[in-house]
Amino acid sequence: MDESDTEPPLVVVPGADPSARQLCFAWGPAEVLVCETLFGRAGGSRSRAAAAARALTRSVAGTGEGAPSSSRVFVVRRDQDIYIQTLRKLFNESHGIFMGLQRSEEELAGKSRKAQLVQVSKNYRSVIRACMEDMHQAAVSTRDPALQGQYSTQVSILSAMELIWNLCEILFVEAAAAGPLLLRLLDWVRLHVCDVDSMVREVLSSESPSKHKLFWNVVDVFVLQGRMDEARHLLSKEASANPTSMNMYKILDDLMKKMPVPSLGNTQTLTELELKWQHWHEECQRYLQDGTFASNPHMESICKILLGDEDAILEKKELMTTWYHFLVTRLLYSHPTVKPLELRFYAQSSMDLFLGGESSPEPLDMILMAAFEFEMHQVIKECSIVLSNWWFVAHLTDLLDHCKILQSHNLYFGSNMREFLLLEYASGLFSHHSLWQLGVDYFDHCPEYGRVYLELHIERIPLSTEQKALKVLRICEQRQMHEQVRSICKIMAMKALRNNRLGSALSWSIRAKDAAFATLISDRFLKDYCERGCFSDLDLIDNLGPSMLLSDRLTFLGKYREFHRLYGEKRFPEAARLLLTLMTAHIAPCSFWMTLLTDALPLLEQKEVIFSAEQTYELMRCLEDLTAGNPDKQKFQDDDVETTKVEMLRLALARNLARVIIKEGTVEGS
Amino acid sequence: QVSVINTVDTSHEDMIHDAQMDYYGTRLATCSSDRSVKIFDVRNGGQILIADLRGHEGPVWQVAWAHPMYGNILASCSYDRKVIIWKEENGTWEKTYEYTGHDSSVNSVCWAPHDYGLILACGSSDGAISLLSYTGDGQWEVKKISNAHTIGCNAVSWAPAVVPGSLIEQPSGQKPNYIKRFASGGCDNLVKIWKEDDGQWKEEQKLEAHSDWVRDVAWAPSIGLPTSTIASCSQDGRVFIWTCDDASGNSWSPKLLHKFNDVVWHVSWSITANILAVSGGDNKVTLWKESVDGLWACISDVNKGQGGVSAVTEGQQNEQ
Repeated sequence: MDESDTEPPLVVVPGADPSARQLCFAWGPAEVLVCETLFGRAGGSRSRAAAAARALTRSVAGTGEGAPSSSRVFVVRRDQDIYIQTLRKLFNESHGIFMGLQRSEEELAGKSRKAQLVQVSKNYRSVIRACMEDMHQAAVSTRDPALQGQYSTQVSILSAMELIWNLCEILFVEAAAAGPLLLRLLDWVRLHVCDVDSMVREVLSSESPSKHKLFWNVVDVFVLQGRMDEARHLLSKEASANPTSMNMYKILDDLMKKMPVPSLGNTQTLTELELKWQHWHEECQRYLQDGTFASNPHMESICKILLGDEDAILEKKELMTTWYHFLVTRLLYSHPTVKPLELRFYAQSSMDLFLGGESSPEPLDMILMAAFEFEMHQVIKECSIVLSNWWFVAHLTDLLDHCKILQSHNLYFGSNMREFLLLEYASGLFSHHSLWQLGVDYFDHCPEYGRVYLELHIERIPLSTEQKALKVLRICEQRQMHEQVRSICKIMAMKALRNNRLGSALSWSIRAKDAAFATLISDRFLKDYCERGCFSDLDLIDNLGPSMLLSDRLTFLGKYREFHRLYGEKRFPEAARLLLTLMTAHIAPCSFWMTLLTDALPLLEQKEVIFSAEQTYELMRCLEDLTAGNPDKQKFQDDDVETTKVEMLRLALARNLARVIIKEGTVEGS
Repeated sequence: QVSVINTVDTSHEDMIHDAQMDYYGTRLATCSSDRSVKIFDVRNGGQILIADLRGHEGPVWQVAWAHPMYGNILASCSYDRKVIIWKEENGTWEKTYEYTGHDSSVNSVCWAPHDYGLILACGSSDGAISLLSYTGDGQWEVKKISNAHTIGCNAVSWAPAVVPGSLIEQPSGQKPNYIKRFASGGCDNLVKIWKEDDGQWKEEQKLEAHSDWVRDVAWAPSIGLPTSTIASCSQDGRVFIWTCDDASGNSWSPKLLHKFNDVVWHVSWSITANILAVSGGDNKVTLWKESVDGLWACISDVNKGQGGVSAVTEGQQNEQ
């Protein structure tokens, strides 16, 4: 691996001991663990034995070796935006837009498809703006200065995101052509350079705007932003206040009115526009050179601006505030028919001229520059580095991918940048207790690795409540993630068992199709019955249905309960038959036979004969099998209760046999 | 860029050697030279001591959580040559099994993928690796690989469970035929790969590249690619990434991630195996997002697509 040129960013764990200790690290599902430790010995001793010996002697000697070692473990989490409450709306609503985009029909071709994609882009942007608004409200209404600072920072970040997205929409999604391109860029600038808004408002709302000291600033602002009508309106106020400059004003006004601009309606071709523009430009030139505006430096400067004079425009730096504003103004007044691919040259020179070597470009500037240069990958890359979340790049890239303008980058294993970013974003969502559900949908739309990432992440969601477990299960079942379904059911069964909720444990293990566990739980049920004489969770056992067959023990449990039910309904012959079958068909475990035989006693003691001769013989055989084959004969014989039981059974069986022989031997009617 | 969302004061009386989160990040287990293993509930930024487990007679080196489907089970290994498996029963933690079959310090424990059952691999300074399998009813079966590494074994790490052949849904109740593998690192400077064949564990591969004791190995989780990846780190300051392209596991090739100036003690992979954490002798942990060979896409070209994404360190001023 090549050595890196730049140092990776250093992240300091706040609160950690600055002495030269080593850091022990462990991955959690969402967070990471960091704790101070000392591997081996600081001097480099390699043996665990030495370290252990030291530890042992230390404890024996009772003295510490210098300062006591730290006993703290830090749970560290990357600062992700998903934990910011106020951004919740951003994640939820953009999820909806994302899903809509994935599902949108691609049958629309050409213009309609483009219009659809532009609409999606606008929707994303309006979500960003809505969030900005909320954040702003939060900043204004909070009293805590720290929080206020946080909110304000968020607002600027969101604002920057919207700025970048908007530009990308113009250049990549809409792919505005020469002509409309400039108009879009003008809109973009007007929307985003807001520093001057308050000044504008102040002047416009004053009693006599033309007398306001900032009057000309505002006029300049309008001119720089190409807002000709507003500029002319203000100028007319000035003209009426100063009749001496009426002549100058009229000419300037006329020039401004006549300025050819690209139109959206395709009413003129670019060549026509260029021609008209050329003539107009020359006219402005003439007036300037004639010294028409010589006596009014403000108007003269405006004329120079109209002529695209860079120096004149640059003088108004503070009114433009950014180099990209300068760029658009330049284009408006020197090359309104600029083609998209020509932007890069103007952008670079604009930035250089504007910053003038006084300041260096910020990350935001670099991102915008990359956009002007149509380096989409660069834009995404830079944004990934600068932003603390994957939200922006993931959604933007997905949109660009749908516009079919992202060439597949050579990401070896077949995945592509779109998927990579979506995977990162969705993975981040999984560390959040409720946003993880959004993550599921994002993984669904990653054809290469979405599924396996989902499998790995969904297993780590804490199943704190039954509802949550069911929710996760539903998601897994919908996607045929059988392994995960089984795993979750097993975990829930185990949990229920630990909390002695046998019924719940049983139903979970049935769902998991876990025979071994079902057997275990059935045994517990039966044990409970033996101890208490009644069943718990009757409903469940009564309604097992075919799932009874999952395990032999479970089948026995179900059938045994059925026996009790039949007995309760006084359907004695059926009950008797069932009881016998349980033993002869070996459904019942040997350990339970005694209980079953004891259950047979009341049936044997009934006034009416229930067991047939054959059945009685069977019962006797069972009893003998049980007592004879029992290795614990000693125990049997010593245990008085057991011996008594056996005696009673033998007696009852014999009596029954006697009665039934007579009954069966008797001819009916006699 | 990071926040400490919780500082757990473990009150261990001596050096902490390992700290591990459980599967869901709700519980934290720590072990220390003070011979105890402690378990904390760390939900919602809290820290409640759930258990203070005593039973070891020497420094405890590692702890490992088993998969939650088996209940709340934790394994610990110690200088006292013992491996203890603790289980939460009826709300309390107790020792459920103790293995004393090693002649020397047990350095590492690692639970196998839950698909194989409840199996624990343990590496010891006596050079042997033992495999403890739960057979039911509180019983554990032991298989031992003697002389796995001469002088001693320092680390064990299981390969993710992958069913050979196509992944058809098995009828319920039938266990698919898993090929079980794990990697170990030892004082013979080797990384070895072990495979279970007919109930016996055999050495499948010997990976040579380190020039000093191998301190840790970590087998990366699987994201469905046919490649397998192992990270190993050593006393020699090097971290290697081993990859094997074919499913039969025959040809492993090492790639040097980095040569550090000091011993590298631990390597571990994140859940989706896209970040490798490396803890070294200098007071830093570095996180690596590999993109050599285009294996991992790297958007943040901070270091031309290779190298550290961020480093975690303590106490020093931010150098930026």
